[in-house]
Amino acid sequence: MAIESTKVSASETLTKTRSFGKIRCHNPSCMKRMEPTPGSKEITCPTCGMAYRIYWLGPNLPRIRGPVWDVNRKLIEKSGSSKNNPQ
Amino acid sequence: MALDRKIAYINLSTGQTEIKPIPLELRKKFIGGRGLDAYLLYNHTPQGCDPLSPENPLIISGGLLTATCASATARAHFMAKSPLTGLLGSANMGGFFAPELAWAGFHHLVITGKAEKPVYLWIHNGEIEIRDAAGLWGKTSADTQWAIREELGDEEIKSAVIGPAGENLVRYACVMTGIKNAAGRTGMGCVMGSKNLKAVAVRGTMDIKISYPLEALEFNKKFIEQITSAKVNKTQGALGTPFIWGATNCWGGIRTRNFQYNQMENADDIEPEAIDEIANKTIGPHHMAGCFGCQVHCRTQYRIPSGPYAGKYDEGPEYTSLGAFGAEPDCKSAETLLTANYLVNQYGVDNLEIGSIISWAMELYELGIIGSKETDGLDLSFGNEKALLEMIHRICTRKGWLGNVLADGGVPAAASIGKNSFDYLIQVKGMNNLHSDERATPALALGIATASRGSDHLRSRPAIDLYHLPVDVLRKIYSSPIAYSGPLSSEQTEYVGKAWEVFWQENCYMAVDCLGICKYHTVFLGATLPNFEDWPKAIYYNTGLEFTPEDIWAVADRCNNIERLFNLREGLTRNDLSKGDTLNHRYFDEPLRRGAPDVIGLSIDRDKFNGMVDEFYGHHGWDQNGLPTAETLKRLGLDQEPTHLL
Repeated sequence: MAIESTKVSASETLTKTRSFGKIRCHNPSCMKRMEPTPGSKEITCPTCGMAYRIYWLGPNLPRIRGPVWDVNRKLIEKSGSSKNNPQ
Repeated sequence: MALDRKIAYINLSTGQTEIKPIPLELRKKFIGGRGLDAYLLYNHTPQGCDPLSPENPLIISGGLLTATCASATARAHFMAKSPLTGLLGSANMGGFFAPELAWAGFHHLVITGKAEKPVYLWIHNGEIEIRDAAGLWGKTSADTQWAIREELGDEEIKSAVIGPAGENLVRYACVMTGIKNAAGRTGMGCVMGSKNLKAVAVRGTMDIKISYPLEALEFNKKFIEQITSAKVNKTQGALGTPFIWGATNCWGGIRTRNFQYNQMENADDIEPEAIDEIANKTIGPHHMAGCFGCQVHCRTQYRIPSGPYAGKYDEGPEYTSLGAFGAEPDCKSAETLLTANYLVNQYGVDNLEIGSIISWAMELYELGIIGSKETDGLDLSFGNEKALLEMIHRICTRKGWLGNVLADGGVPAAASIGKNSFDYLIQVKGMNNLHSDERATPALALGIATASRGSDHLRSRPAIDLYHLPVDVLRKIYSSPIAYSGPLSSEQTEYVGKAWEVFWQENCYMAVDCLGICKYHTVFLGATLPNFEDWPKAIYYNTGLEFTPEDIWAVADRCNNIERLFNLREGLTRNDLSKGDTLNHRYFDEPLRRGAPDVIGLSIDRDKFNGMVDEFYGHHGWDQNGLPTAETLKRLGLDQEPTHLL
């Protein structure tokens, strides 16, 4: 038989890297891991300032529902003034 | 054993059928499913044939593992020359059709010819009948399935059908099964319509022998644990595929108002959590359903909560519908989103394509390239929700000048509309992109540019590139089963190493499409899900066939290359804007305006993009024009194709 029955695959070994109870900032070069307080509705990234609305799928499974829109808008305007933003 | 399943050739012009075994030699070279379909397409399609002609073969299949003890192997695959793109047509759907086809005795169907009048195929326990479908023509996709069950007196019959869009030869009509499972892309429903083929109905009770059943079941338990324990699948099992929206709409990966913006602001009503509330209210707490043999259950069941279609039952919406009927046309109402989703399922039309093409028309309307004369008085402004729904009706019934023109697909429509309308069409190889905006993600941009069936996220997208995974984790994934010591980067905005990621994912997705496994059960949205090293055991225990991870990689590489050969034969050239491996100029020329601070101002760097394409071609063993070299074809055993062994 060509298959190895006892070898642990790469994907199996990577299951150890799973993290529950945490989320990541979605700003691409930030991506800081954050651990929201259980039940909290919002969280702000301490590194880049992006603010998020939190949704709890379970006690140990928070997820980012979306940005806090007024903070998002302010960050867009701030970034737009210093980067190549046509409008 | 599982390998006893057959291939059937059905000629609708003559009514003749022929049944053959599938040679083991071809199993080893192409495994099954999409891979073997690609072999059949390359061998059976006359070069340059009209996609709507009787000569265009429609190929339908299940994967090698379909109907075995392996988890989530419900995928059915459809392939033909695409009436939308004129290149490779290929689409894949879940549900319950593929295992039923296997129990009915068949793994692959090759359907040619054209029936004189509407017909459907009735395939049961090794028998194939061509039956009159006069009473089915004109029915919606769901009504067609119920009518077939009633006519044949068996509620367990599973059917792959077309709705009115396929009958009306909308060039991106899909094939449907169940309520929302769709072989959606590249117009396979249009090919069925061109053959007067309304449905393929299957029912089987034939034995599928498993080579090592106890080991297969035991291994599958481990497989299921690995799948269901992943955070991504726990989330997907609660919110369906729309769960992705939370991340992508935060950082700015959602194209909005066609391609003007990259984030849909203040659209809380169409967020997956809001859809989930509607499903809770209209169906109840247990509103998630699954395909055959799947434990993830990513399919939301709901009823439309209000409006003219209030109370209608539907399933979905998929993540792609949030973009197609939300962000792209800038419509923010859940009622409209769910109604549009219902309509496309009933008409049997590709939600991505129709939402994208309507949004393109909305931008043309905004720019004055088309006006009320072309729209027959309809106000096609962004955000006009009634106009969005009206255009779905018009396109699917080819009503009005614009409805008829848009039903032919973006590239022909741009030719009909004229002026500079083509400049605003977000497509590759004639197929529109989903709602994702790839200007901040070079890897994803490369993926849609080079995907074999046109702008597409399910052929090679390295979605885990968005997760900022450490390089050592990326290396663990992307250096197996074939060693790779080149650069890799955790940064989604980087260009370095991305060509390899796309190449690896392309082979990974081809492999699961050959096996019949759903992409949510491999390295697509989750980095810790099974891939090459995990599949040999499932194959061996279920079928007795021995494949190493390297063997599976080689098969996938071979199958991707035969798809490439097909596309090249039908006219693909590297830099052709409507038949090549490149992107609309807006990816390069219009920087992003919204989203996370790090993405604002970004666009794709043209030189770096071309460098990635070169690199990607190099990984494949293709020359600078994207042609497989003689050495590559020999290495893959494709140098004698077409061999006509099946």
